[in-house]
Amino acid sequence: MKRIKVSDIVPFAAFIVLFVFFTIVSKGKMVSAYSLKMLLEQSILTIITACGVLFVVAQGSIDLSVGVNVALSGVVGMHIATVTGQGWLMIPCSMVIGLIVGLFNGVIVSKCHVPSFTLSIAMLIGVRGVVNYIQTIIGIEYIPESMLFVTTSTFRIIAFIVIALIVLFVFEFTRVGRYSQAIGENETTARFVGIPVDKMKILVFAIAGLMAGIGAVFSMATVGGTTMTMGAFLEMKVAMAIFFGGVLVTGGSSARFYKVILGSLSITVIVYGLSLIGMSDSQISESVEGGLLLIILFITILTNRHRASRKKAAEAEE
Amino acid sequence: MGENFLEIRGLDKFFGPTHANRGIDLTVKRGEIHGLIGENGSGKSTLLSQIAGLYRRDGGEMFVDGEPYDPHSPIDANRRRISMVMQELGVVGNLPAGVNVYLGRTGQFSKFGIINMRKMRREAAGQFEKWGLDAPPLGQMTDGMMIESRKMIELARALSVDPELLLLDEVTQSLSLNNRNKLYELIRRFKDMGRSVLVITHDIDEMVEITDTITVLRDGQVIGTVDSRKTTPDEIRMMMVGRELSGDYYRADNAPSYEDEVVLEVSGVSVPGELEDVSFELHRGEILGFCGLSDSGIHAVGKAVYGLSKRSAGDVYLKANDAHIVNPTQAMQSNMGYVPKDRDNEALMIHASIRDNFCLPSLTELKGAAGFLNPKKLGKLAGEMRDKLSVKCTGIFQPMDALSGGNKQKVNLGRWLAKDLKLLILDCPTRGVDVGVKAYIYSLMNEAKRQGIATILISDELTEVLGMADRLMVMKDGKVTKTIDRGPDFTEQSVIGVMI
Repeated sequence: MKRIKVSDIVPFAAFIVLFVFFTIVSKGKMVSAYSLKMLLEQSILTIITACGVLFVVAQGSIDLSVGVNVALSGVVGMHIATVTGQGWLMIPCSMVIGLIVGLFNGVIVSKCHVPSFTLSIAMLIGVRGVVNYIQTIIGIEYIPESMLFVTTSTFRIIAFIVIALIVLFVFEFTRVGRYSQAIGENETTARFVGIPVDKMKILVFAIAGLMAGIGAVFSMATVGGTTMTMGAFLEMKVAMAIFFGGVLVTGGSSARFYKVILGSLSITVIVYGLSLIGMSDSQISESVEGGLLLIILFITILTNRHRASRKKAAEAEE
Repeated sequence: MGENFLEIRGLDKFFGPTHANRGIDLTVKRGEIHGLIGENGSGKSTLLSQIAGLYRRDGGEMFVDGEPYDPHSPIDANRRRISMVMQELGVVGNLPAGVNVYLGRTGQFSKFGIINMRKMRREAAGQFEKWGLDAPPLGQMTDGMMIESRKMIELARALSVDPELLLLDEVTQSLSLNNRNKLYELIRRFKDMGRSVLVITHDIDEMVEITDTITVLRDGQVIGTVDSRKTTPDEIRMMMVGRELSGDYYRADNAPSYEDEVVLEVSGVSVPGELEDVSFELHRGEILGFCGLSDSGIHAVGKAVYGLSKRSAGDVYLKANDAHIVNPTQAMQSNMGYVPKDRDNEALMIHASIRDNFCLPSLTELKGAAGFLNPKKLGKLAGEMRDKLSVKCTGIFQPMDALSGGNKQKVNLGRWLAKDLKLLILDCPTRGVDVGVKAYIYSLMNEAKRQGIATILISDELTEVLGMADRLMVMKDGKVTKTIDRGPDFTEQSVIGVMI
C-alpha cells in the first residue's frame, strides 16, 4: 500500500486551516457562493502560470521571468491584434511570444549552463525595461469588441479547467513530467540512464513560457486590457504558491500537480481573506503573506527532516 | 597497558523498533587485525559507528585500555586514538582535498582566524607519505575526483590522528588493485607497530588473507569468533548465512560459449585523456570482461559505449539494431542498458520510490496513446520485478533510501532486465553487496547470457571477471593490452602480469 507521508499532508492541512480561520474571522462571509467564485477567479492566473513553472521546478530549476513574460506577451500580443484589426490574433500571438521567451531561457540554461535563478533574474529586470519602453510608446490597449467573450467568467472558468486538465495529464501521466522529476531527483542519474536532459531542460522552459503567454490572455481578460502593472510580482506569487504547496526547491518527486492547485488556492485565501476582514491595506497583507509563507516552509522542512532521520536509521541497520 | 586494547561487553543499539546490535561482546587485542563479517543488515556498520563515536550506545559497556569508554562524537573517539573510514563517502565535495584531510581540525593551522593553507597541504601530503600512500592532488576540489581518490583522502584523514585502533568499513571495495595492496601493507605495518585494525569487508577471501581473527555477525548478534589461519571461506560463508551455500558461485564451465552473431562493433574509439584506439566485437550471449587498474580506462569503456563521453574518434555500432550510438538517449532506446559504478550518485534516484526507479528506463516502452503512462502499468512492472528479484521492501512506493545496499543493487540491475535488452553494460555490479546478493547477481548474469544478451562486465575484482567472462580484455593507460579467451590461460597470474 502507498503510505501517506506527513509532508504530503501539510499543503492540505495548511489550506484547510487558512480557510477555516478566515471563515470564522469573516463571520462566514468566506463560504458564500460569491466569495468562492471570486476565490477561484483570483487564483486562475497564479495557477495557470504556476502550472508551467511546475515543470521547471520539478527539474530543480526556477523560472522567475514568468511575470515579465506575461507582461511582454500580453502587451505585444494585444498590440498586434489592435494594429491588424484582427482581434482573435491576441490569443495565438501572446502564446507564441511567451513560448519564444521561454525557449530563449531554456536554450541559455541548457546550452550555456547558466543557473536558471541568475538568468531569470536578469530576464526579470531586462524584459521589464523593454515592456515599460513599449508601453510608454503605445500606452494601454483594450480588448477589441469581437473578443469581449473572453472576459466572461464562464469562458475563463471553462478555459481554465480545460488547460488545467491538459497540464495534469502532461505532468503526471507522460514522460515529460516523469523525466523532469527524474532530472530533479538526480541529474547525473537521468543522464546516465539516457534521458535527453538538455532537450528536457529547453522543453520545460518553453512550457513555462507558453503558460505565461496563456496567462497573459487570462490577465487581460480579467481587467479588460493591458495595464502598466501587468504581471508585476506574479513570479513571486507563483514561486510562493509552488513552495507553499509543499514542493521542495530541489524538485524531483516532491513536485506534484495537486500541490500547485492547493498552494495557489491557499495564497488566494490569504489575500482574499484579509480583504474580507477589512485588512486590504496592501502593505499589511503582504507582510502577513510573507509571515505565513515562512511558517509553512518551516513546517515542510521540519517534516522532511523527520524523513531524513528515518533514512539515517535505515542506513545504520546495515 | 593490558593485552586488550578494546573490550566491548553486552553492547545494545536500537533504531526505533529495530534491534540493530544485541548484546555484542567483542575484544580487540593490541597488534591484532580483527575482521567483522556478516550479511547486509547484520549490524556491522552500526557496531563500528558506535566505537567511532557516531552513535551513542543504548546498553552495555566499552573499555579502552581497561578504562570506561563512551565517545559522544568522532572527535572524542579521536582523542582516545580511535578513528574510522566510513562506507558511505564522507568528504566535502567543494573543499580541496587537503582541507578534507584535516576537516574539523583545521584550527591547528590557523593564526588569528586565518588558516595557513600551504602548511595544511604540506602536512596532508606528509600523512600520505608517512603511510606509503599515493596522494591525490591536494589543492583540487574533491568533487571532481574519482571515488578511489576520495576514499584515500578519508583514509588519510583517519590516519592523521595517529590512531591506535583503525576502523575500516568496506574500504577495499572502492580501491583498485594497486591501492588495495598499499592498504594491506599499511595494515601489516599497524600490526608490527603493536596497533590494531578492525575491518569490515564483503570479500571473504580477502578477509581470511589479511586478518588474524574474524568475528561473524548475524541479525545483530555475534555468531562466533574464529582464528583466520584455522578457518576456510566456506566455513565463514556458512556462519554468515546460517546454512550451507551451494558451491556454484561463478560459472562452472571452462571454455567460452557464445553465438556467432555480432551484436556490437566498437572500432577505434578514442576519448581524450581516457581511451585510445579501443576496438572489439561483442557476440550474442557473450560476457566480455574488462580488467585493469582503476585509471586504466576500464570504466571509461562502459561510458563510451553507452554514448556518455565525447569521442574524438571511432565508432560504436550496435549491429543488432543497426544503430551508431552517439548519445545515451539513443543507447537507451536501442535495447542497451548501463549499470554505472557509483550506485547512489550515478544510477539511482535515492529519494524517489522503488516504482519510479524500476520504471525510469522503460517509460518509452510503457507509454500508450498520446504518451499516456498508465499508473497501473507502471505499478505492474515494478511489482513483477520486485517479486522476481525478491527485493526486500514494504511496498513499491517505499523510497529507495530505505533499502539496504544489496536490495538497491537489485533494483539498479533489475530495471534493465525488465527491458528487452540486446546489450548490457555492468560497471562493478557487485560493489558493496553481500555474498547472498552477489551469488544472485551472478545467476542473473548467467540467465541473461542464456537469453542471448551480450554483456560487458567491468570490474575491479579480478576473480569476478575470471569467474564470469567468456573473454577478457586487459587495459592499461587507456589501451587494450591483451585479450584472453576463457580457458587454461584464464588465471590471475596471467592477467596481473599484463595489468601492471
